Amino acid sequence: MHTAKPLAIAATLALTASLAACGGSGGGGGGSSSSSQSASGLTLTQVTRAAVGDIDAVAWNLPYEPSTIDPSHSFNYSENTVIANMCESLLRQNPDFSTSPALAKSVDHPNPTTWIYHLQENVKFWDGKPMTSQDVAYSLNRGLDPDVGSYFGSYFTNVKDIKATDASTVTVTMKAPDVLFNQAMSTAAGAVVQEAYTKSAGKDFGSPSKGVMCTGPFTFDSWKSGDSLVMSRNDAYWDSPLKAKAGKLTFRFISDETTAVNALQSGEIDGEFFYLPPAGLSSLKSSDAGTLYYGDSLIFWALLGSAETGPMADPKVRQAFSLAVDRPGMAKVVFQDAAEPAKALTNPAYFTYGKPIFQAAYDALPSIKPDLEKAQQLLKEAGSPTQPITIAIQGSSAVHEQTGALLKAAGEALGLTVNIKSIPVEQYGAIYYDPKAREGIDAFLSTWYGNVPDPLDVYAAFVKGGPNNFNNYDAVSSQVEKARTIDNDDERATQVSQIMTTVTNDAPWVPLETLPVLAFLNKRVTGATVSSVYLYYPWAAALGKSG
Amino acid sequence: MSWPRFLVKRVLALLVVLLVASLLVYGSLYLAPGGPLSFLVGTRSATPELIAQVTAQYHLNDPFLVRYFTWLADVLHGDLGRSLVYREAVSSLIASRFLTTLLLVVYATVLILLVGLGTGIWAALRRGVAGRVVTGWNAASLSTPAFVLGALLIVVFALGLGWFPVYGSGSGFGDRLWHLTLPAIALALSSAAYLSRISSASITSEMGKEHVETAMSRGLPRKLVVRRHVLRNASIPVITVVGLTIAGLVAGTVVVENVFALDGLGSLLVRAILQRDYAVVQAIVLLLTIVFVLVNLIVDVLYSLVDPRLSLDGDAL
Repeated sequence: MHTAKPLAIAATLALTASLAACGGSGGGGGGSSSSSQSASGLTLTQVTRAAVGDIDAVAWNLPYEPSTIDPSHSFNYSENTVIANMCESLLRQNPDFSTSPALAKSVDHPNPTTWIYHLQENVKFWDGKPMTSQDVAYSLNRGLDPDVGSYFGSYFTNVKDIKATDASTVTVTMKAPDVLFNQAMSTAAGAVVQEAYTKSAGKDFGSPSKGVMCTGPFTFDSWKSGDSLVMSRNDAYWDSPLKAKAGKLTFRFISDETTAVNALQSGEIDGEFFYLPPAGLSSLKSSDAGTLYYGDSLIFWALLGSAETGPMADPKVRQAFSLAVDRPGMAKVVFQDAAEPAKALTNPAYFTYGKPIFQAAYDALPSIKPDLEKAQQLLKEAGSPTQPITIAIQGSSAVHEQTGALLKAAGEALGLTVNIKSIPVEQYGAIYYDPKAREGIDAFLSTWYGNVPDPLDVYAAFVKGGPNNFNNYDAVSSQVEKARTIDNDDERATQVSQIMTTVTNDAPWVPLETLPVLAFLNKRVTGATVSSVYLYYPWAAALGKSG
Repeated sequence: MSWPRFLVKRVLALLVVLLVASLLVYGSLYLAPGGPLSFLVGTRSATPELIAQVTAQYHLNDPFLVRYFTWLADVLHGDLGRSLVYREAVSSLIASRFLTTLLLVVYATVLILLVGLGTGIWAALRRGVAGRVVTGWNAASLSTPAFVLGALLIVVFALGLGWFPVYGSGSGFGDRLWHLTLPAIALALSSAAYLSRISSASITSEMGKEHVETAMSRGLPRKLVVRRHVLRNASIPVITVVGLTIAGLVAGTVVVENVFALDGLGSLLVRAILQRDYAVVQAIVLLLTIVFVLVNLIVDVLYSLVDPRLSLDGDAL
């Protein structure tokens, strides 16, 4: 078992490397953006070109109004886009998917069931009060508290207790070893809020009237329900390289895509992250108001199997289905070229440790080219099922509808009967947690992402009885449980890459596309992080005046 | 009927309507499939324990009548409850949006009255080319849905000419008016056309009435005849239409508010219904019911002012 030192050192190195690599957070002028070419020819960007200076005010649009900004209930695009700039976590995911220390300056891991977080000194909340180990322990304990009902509760299932062991140390004792717990400390699960403020705000914590009290580069200013949420620069911010360049950042909540695109075109809004391509994507691509970036991403588009009986419960049928899907065609037609065909749920951006091991396993996976002959063969072996397959899609979403149509065509080309069931967006969420809502549904479409850049975080869904194991697929269950206990990177990579191979082959979820973050920035601003860590990283800190 | 009795009767009727409406809305939300749970547990990490905990915490499994009467008791104590989805008091959620919708509806109403009555009267009294132009304009306006018109207005006047902002409701009175101009036009146009047709038809038919022709043939000034005999009599159906239109505008704001990304009640209501955010739906429905009843009240009062033969309780109608 590894002890703490190597991790802490590795993490520090990662921080240095990422600062050198992205240049954006360091400040100063003229750096170039960090981008790379993807397999299918998209230019992927992690950080946009560095800003040349501060800017007074920036207007940013969210796809919908956040329901709260309490970090423990921030588990979705709008919520995390906002809170990532205000509430910092113990660890930090960087734009290049590396992890580095944040509010914890180092982590000790003396034995498999103990994590000791040594806190950064001189960190102050926005109200000037110092951050104490008591605040940190209180914040983490909210993850355990059933009354809080944290959306990140699944990362805390193996935690026994969380204690402030001295003025600058917090110790977490586990019931069972779990590497994902420590990794989750780089997400909103590890966000630190002020105990006194949180308690006094009570149930209004995170709401428009009370907001939050944290330590991040932006402070919560105001939130007018239905209109805007404003945050402004934290002048006393402790981590100077990430000090905000924008004096004020106003979030708007334009949910109508066309209106949002119009507002970006007219310059009334300076930027927005899209998680699915909007209707007016082509006009943004060619816009002279600003630039559309494709952000490096952990987000994927998949068909999640939810059938415990019937054809879709048979791995051979799912595999046949997967082989029949034309992923490049889908990327072109449905996503307007703003997606990359995925051959596994986890694309190489997830391979942040044991990279050669993962990459070798990934390269050995079958290619994305449709293979109808093999698919027919598999169906024959499965006994040529005739029962219909019902796929649920989200109503009033073009991407859902078009993907549904392509899947239906792919299935019917194989002789399968495929029914598409459209469910209103407001009730779509129930499919994820309510087995009753899944009755009669064999599979459903979803975007998904690992909260941390470790393939294990995605494949951890496939444990026996797990809340996200919709079709009770258990072929890798014990391997997943085992992998969560392995501290050594290469050993874990070996284990997880085997899981990846098995899951890809059995296709409990059929991977369809990797979805880059679509980020539009007006030409007057630059410096924002556009890789999918924007959900947990203070992506707006380096956002400033363009040259 | 005397004024005090009339008002007491109307207020009592309003209370009954409110009670029935709230029960109906609550009941239909309760019976419809789906629920607010997905917004309370997040979608990805909900364990059965968490679901049970949240269900108990928000009383989602209590019997219908228990929940309804709890809500009713709170409302009678002046507490509209908390939004399940926004985790905020309903009163503050609505207060911030009410002004936008109110201003939008009033703005649109003014436009409808000016344009609708203006063109209607003009067309009826002028006939000829003017009448045909107005008729054609009205036909086009009536057949253009608000969302199409909204998109068109944005493309031409916001993106193209840059005279107006693309979205939002602004702050401060002048800025708000500027922001709400395009939405109000989008909202008002088809209603104005309708009003124009009704008033034009009504005036035309009054013009043909015997007493009007008699007055004209006796050599009374045309202006006087039009004002005393034509417009006054023609205004009864016009008032009816205006009343219904204004009440309907409140519901019509939904579409326009979405197109122009306004923070109004309409868009909040639709979202709240779909998310089963009971307290929010109830509060907005109560508000809309009150507006509806008030508008009707005003219409009834106007009737009796325009035509004293019509009594306050509306028997003569």
